[in-house]
This record gives sequence, structure tokens and C-alpha cells, in this order.
Amino acid sequence: MGITRRIFMIGGATVGGGLLLGIGGVGAHLMTHNRINTQRDGHTDNNSTLVNLWLRITPDNNIIVINPHTDMGQGTATGLMQIVADEIDADWSQMKSQAAPADVAYSNGKVFEGFMREMVTPPEWAGNLVENGFYRMGDLMKMQMTGGSSAVRFTGWDAMRKAAAATRQMLLAAAAEKLDVDIASLKTQSGTVVHENSGQSYTYGELAADAANRDLPKDAAFKAADQWRFVGNSIDREDVPAKVLATAEYGIDAEVPDMQYAAIATSGVFGAQISSIDNADEIKTARGVSDVLIVPDGVAVVADNPWRAEQAVRKVVFQRESHANDTLHTEDVVQNQRDALAGELSEGLSTGEAVEGAADIKAEYLVPYLAHATMEPMNATVWMQDGKLNVIAGVQNPLGARQRAAKEAGMKIDDVIFHSRQMGGGFGRRVAFSTTGDEPLSWLVQAVRIALHSNKAVKTTWSRETDTRSDVYRPLVLGQYEGALADDGKPLLWRSRSYGKEMNIKAIAPPYAIPNIKVSYADQPHPIPTGFWRSVEHSQHGFFVESFIDELAMAANADPLQYRLSLLAKDSAAASVLNKVAEMSGWRYGADADGRAMGVALVHSFGSTVAQVVEASMTSNGVSAHRVWCAVDCGTAVNPQAVEAQVQGAVHYALSAALYGKCDLKDGGIVQSNFHDYRLVGLAESPAVEVAIVKSDSPIGGVGEIGVPPLAPALSNALAVTDGVRRRSLPLV
Amino acid sequence: MIQLNVNGVEHSLDIEPEMPLLWALREEISLRGTKFGCGLGLCGACTVHIDGTPVRSCSYPASAAVGKQISTIESIGSEETPHAIQRAWIKHQVPQCGYCQSGMQMAAVALLNDNPNPTDEDIDAVMTNLCRCGTYDRIRAAIKTAAKEMV
Repeated sequence: MGITRRIFMIGGATVGGGLLLGIGGVGAHLMTHNRINTQRDGHTDNNSTLVNLWLRITPDNNIIVINPHTDMGQGTATGLMQIVADEIDADWSQMKSQAAPADVAYSNGKVFEGFMREMVTPPEWAGNLVENGFYRMGDLMKMQMTGGSSAVRFTGWDAMRKAAAATRQMLLAAAAEKLDVDIASLKTQSGTVVHENSGQSYTYGELAADAANRDLPKDAAFKAADQWRFVGNSIDREDVPAKVLATAEYGIDAEVPDMQYAAIATSGVFGAQISSIDNADEIKTARGVSDVLIVPDGVAVVADNPWRAEQAVRKVVFQRESHANDTLHTEDVVQNQRDALAGELSEGLSTGEAVEGAADIKAEYLVPYLAHATMEPMNATVWMQDGKLNVIAGVQNPLGARQRAAKEAGMKIDDVIFHSRQMGGGFGRRVAFSTTGDEPLSWLVQAVRIALHSNKAVKTTWSRETDTRSDVYRPLVLGQYEGALADDGKPLLWRSRSYGKEMNIKAIAPPYAIPNIKVSYADQPHPIPTGFWRSVEHSQHGFFVESFIDELAMAANADPLQYRLSLLAKDSAAASVLNKVAEMSGWRYGADADGRAMGVALVHSFGSTVAQVVEASMTSNGVSAHRVWCAVDCGTAVNPQAVEAQVQGAVHYALSAALYGKCDLKDGGIVQSNFHDYRLVGLAESPAVEVAIVKSDSPIGGVGEIGVPPLAPALSNALAVTDGVRRRSLPLV
Repeated sequence: MIQLNVNGVEHSLDIEPEMPLLWALREEISLRGTKFGCGLGLCGACTVHIDGTPVRSCSYPASAAVGKQISTIESIGSEETPHAIQRAWIKHQVPQCGYCQSGMQMAAVALLNDNPNPTDEDIDAVMTNLCRCGTYDRIRAAIKTAAKEMV
């Protein structure tokens, strides 16, 4: 059974009970959502006509893609425009994009329907790993989220493509009626409908008003791949020039009349609140300081310049309530996880017969807590105006942030105006959504409190130190692996235990043909806030699984790349990317004369499959990653250069974590504070990254996160070849 | 009062001498192309030129810039007349989130002013700004493209 292309509707309040309604096309989707009237009301300006949910055609024949996703450099807007331009048959010069407002009418249910579909009909590749998607659908349907590498593949490929194809049909039908000709005698080209026999034509802009009143077709056919003019081409991203010219506006660049600035000092212990401030009067005497107050998780100073606020907040002396985390150290967390893994565990995936006691290859892996370290620290500008609460911020979920601000202010969501801005990095930090109950928007909550308390427009900005120490962290995870080999050297048994679960994933099973697999996990929480970190559960489980298969290969005295191939179906995406990456890298098992060796890893995530080879060596300076090759199967690559950029960037993001990334806990707080002790890879040590996109018939997959998971295991696997030492914990340096 | 010459314009600012130049530029003169990243001169998002030399303005006191020519990203080029570095940055589609890129470009402009034909080693030595999105492959390529164009 291949991927089922059905679209599932999620039925309102009964979602928790699992009601799924299968629907046939974009028309039914629109009608069921009952959003079209809201949309029409919202887009009557400029005399343009809203044709359907995601598209707008103006009288002067511009086609505006209303993009529910926010930008953090991933190129979503351009990708969506490419998909629409092809399916609607427009010229590139007609295409425009517009950010959707933070409104329920634009909540991107298609994203979650997409995840839901993965859940219901997982790819063959994943076997019986059913729960690889979101599960709290009731919450999610009210969100407007950019995350899960979902924008192009779900919003674009599932929804906008259908919308565009349907729109083209409606335009053709409108023209047929105007011209009183058979629709089959018409064709579309460059944003016009042409009647070739008579030479008459109408632009889409001229037809839009009539087309909008027609019923939505349920059977609009898609173009074949050989008819695409934009999809599959490396088109320049529309967001790039403003970023180069520094005219792009980030949240931190907000300017509101008479704006004040707030800085935050954290309580220093996760969960511990401030009980009193000892020296508020003294702080208020500092130049420009107008307010000192306790906020959730810390204290705030308001001043007329951000530097003055920051200088003052560092001088605040406060008393902190005692908390169970007061004595929490990393070692305690690790021991707690080890104890948990020795206790009662929940069942993940099991296949074959459980073979107890026969495992003779054992390994324990550990990955640390990680901060996101977006270059733009968390910030929000908040003020009251004409009875409305205004918020300027960059987030991956504007609607979720708007709801959270309203809740904090005790106001209705309709009384909150959310001004969405460019994000200086997201990587999951700005998702504004939690499955753990931790608060990912604590900075926004603080900003709302401060503005209301001060009764002024206030821009609250976290220092780098506060940002590093107040994150929702990639979880620290301990994983224990056991395996045994059959007489032919192939794996006979694979057992794993790991701590925690993210997104209901319940740990990851290997993608390899192994007769006996048992995956279990400790379903227990973390003592500090955790959240989504680029590639989510795959960043840790990718390291575990791809390190352990490498250990099995070495135990079998096999070439680790050939060993993996021997455990994969020959025509699988996994085999295809492994073969490609072997060819690109000139794969070699064994160190060369300079002590350089290659390591490989393969991870399927977000609907795509990536194999990476890292060439690395141990040098006098420590670990050096010299070159990285990536072979990617993401089905259809809508914008290949953007795919390349995302995968290259993901490699460097993952390399920072593999080499240096860790957030240590001491006395209930994070030790690391800034880029000197939470190091990022710089240009000089960044390896050249070569990316190849393999041609495939795979369904379209995600892109933004898929380059992260294979890097750490491929690097560690390479180092094991150089010196025979297996590195089972990160970071490596 | 602190007298600052920014992009050829004189500003008289009532600020503390020790206020970092970054905050004077961003919040007293409203030149927000220069970004805050770390506050300790570690990441380079705040890079500006002082008398042509790149400095990290988050940890450079405003008073130290008195009597000198301060140049920010706003002075390097415009939509109509982008700098060669900016043209190369667009050609290679360098930015992702873009937040570090004004500082990155200021460092690159200074590099090429000083060394019109940099080798990989020269680029490695000078381009120490941090990019969290990992755009390094394209930064390197774009600097080489701009160098060729500027010859």
C-alpha cells in the first residue's frame, strides 16, 4: 500500500474522541471550514476578489498567495508562490505573497491534517510505526503554526495546489460563460484565459469576480510534472533582498512612540519565583529607570534605553522562594533517568520474538539539554491603544501568541492586535506551543505584564544570558541499546530503552530489517522546561540509532555503509540516498594517510530521507569535520536551491551541537550563558557541505529540519574509524 | 553631550560616555540595521565600521567613537545602488533568517577593502561573525564573487 492521498477533515470538538471525516476535495474543505465569508469580509479592500481560502486575484491581475506561515529564513513564501504559479498558470511577475493575519480564519488545519494523515497511513518505510505525528489535534486545529517542516509539503502541496487548480477551473468556467463557448475550447496561459479560435482573451483579474461566485470544482486535475515551469526550479527567494539591505523588520526593531525598554533577570532556578526585591528604591534612582517589578520567573526593570534597563536589572537584589529544583544538577537528572530505565517501562515498537538475555553488544548513549540560541533573542513590544492590546513580535505561531497575550491580559482575543514580524531565527524556539505544559512564551507573558503594569509602550528584550538560561530546552536523553548478531553478522536482535517521549513518538525504531526489535521508553517528565528543537525527537534518537547500527557493523567487521544497505530494500528511498552519498563522497571505510576517516548516517524524518557522510579527523585542536556530503530524498524539491540552503544550514546547526552544545544544570539553573560557553561553529571551522537531491517518486517531504539528525552520528562514526574509540555522549569536544 | 558622526551625519546625543555604540545607534538615532546578538562582542551581529575598521559596537563605548567616522549597514548600499557585497549576497541567496547578515556584510566589506583578493585562509581569519542558520558555504562563495566584481 502506498501513501493514501485522501484528505481527512477533523470534526470540531469531537476530535479528542477521534472522529475523522474523509472529504474529497478543496471545495468541501472550504465549505466545511465555513471560513470563506470571513475571508471575503477581510479582503474587500482594493476592489480585489477573494477567490478561495489562500488565493486572491486583483483586478490588475496580480495573484496574491496569503501565506499562513511566518518567515525565519526557510523560504516558504517563495515555495508556495511557485506551486500556485504552476497550478494556476501564471507568470512569475504576477505572483505576490502576503502574510496572513493572526486570525482563526487562517489557522492552518491543513498542516495538522497532513500530520494526521501520516499518522493514519504511515509510509511503508515506517512499517508499523504509527504514532509518528501530532496527537492533540483538538488543540492544534486552532493554531497557525510554522513548524514540523510542514509549510511547503502540507500547506503548499496539499492545500494551495488544490486551491490553485480549482481556481483555474473556475476562471475557465467564468470565461466560457462570458464568451458563450465550450470550456474545452479555452486554454490558460500567463494569467489569461484564451479562446484560440476567436483570438479573444480575458485576464484572470477580469474574470476573478465572476469566478468567485462559481461553485468550487471537486475534481480539478493537477498539472503533470513535465508541465511545471516553476516547481523544481531554483527561484530567488522573495525575502532575501530586504535582509541584505537591512530593511527587513524583526520584532526587536519595533518602534512605537514614547516606547520604554524592559530588561529581565531570571530567578536562577527553574520554577522558583521571586518573593521580594531588596533595593527597588535604589534601582529607581538610576538614570532613565522608571519601574522595577517582579514578573513570572524573574524581575524586570523598565527604562528609557535598553542598555540602561539591562545595567539596572543586573544590580537588582532579590529574594527567591525555595524550590525543589534548588539543588538540581545534571548528574541528578542523568541518575534519575538511569533509575527510570531500570524500572517499569512503556512499550514502544516490538516485532518478532522477544529474545531475552541474548544480547552481547551493549551501549549507553547520552545527549544533553540544548538551548536554541536564535541570533535574535526573545523580545516583544506591547502597548494599549484605544482599548486594544497591541503586540509586536516574531513567532512561529502568531495566532497562538495572540491567544496567550489575551489570556495574560484578561482580555478577549478580539481585543488583541498582533503585529507579526520577521524572526531572527526560530528552530522551534518560537513555536509558541507545548505538549509538556511548559511555557514557551514566558517572554511574551513577561512583556504583557510589564506593559500593563507600567501603563506604557514597552519593548521587553532578553539579554543573551537570560535567553540562554530561560529556554525551553532540547531534552537531555539517556538511551540504552542492546544487540546481538546472527552467524552471518547481520543483526538478530535490537533492544532499546530511552527516557521520555516527544510528540508521542515513544522512541524510534531502526529502519533496518532486524528480526527481533523491542523499543521501550520511560514515560516520565523533565524537571526543567523542554520544547521543540530543530528536528525534535530525531536529534537524539537519530544519534542513538545510527551510532548503534554502526557499532553492530563494526562488531560484524563490516563496512558500515554496505552493512546498512544489506538491511534495506534495494528500491527503498533509504537505499537510494545511501548509494548516492557513497558516490558523492567517494565512500571509503578506513582512515587515510592524514588520519581522516568517513562516517555515515541515515535518518528518515518529516517525510524525507537523508544520508550524510562526514569526513573527520582528530587534530591537535580536537575534533575537525572537514567535509560533509548529503543525499536527500524529499520527493518533489519545489525550490532546489532553497532545499540545498536548508540542508547546508542544518548541518552547521547540528555541528555546533555535536561539537560544543550542552546546557549544564547546577543548583537548579543553567551554567552556560553566552556564546563563549555555548559555542556555535564559525566559518573557519565549518566544513564545505555538498547537497544532492535524488530524483524520486516519494511523496513530497519536509525540508527545514531533515539535515540535522544524521550529522552527529555520522561525525561520531567517522571518529570511531580514526581511533577505534566509540563516542557515546555529546558534545564531542 | 556626545558628538557622533554616523554615515556622514553629525549627531549630538545626551548619553553616558560608556553606553555601547550599538544602543546609541539603534535607539537614540533609530538606525536599526545594526543588530544586538550577545552584548559581549562574541557574535558580530552588531558590526559597524569606525574609520573603515570593523568593530563590534555592542562592546565599544560611544565615547570612543567621538571624532571618528562611523559607518553602518545603512550607508553601504541601497536598493537602487547596492554594494558589490550586497549584489553577491543576493546572487548567492546567502541569508536565511537574515539577522546576522548586516554584521556579516560589514565584516565582508571591510575584508575586501583591506584585501581585494582574499584566499580561503584570509576569509577564515577575518570572518569570525556567527551565523546560527549556518549560511557559511554561501558567505564564502559570495565574498569571492564580490571580490571578482570589485577588481
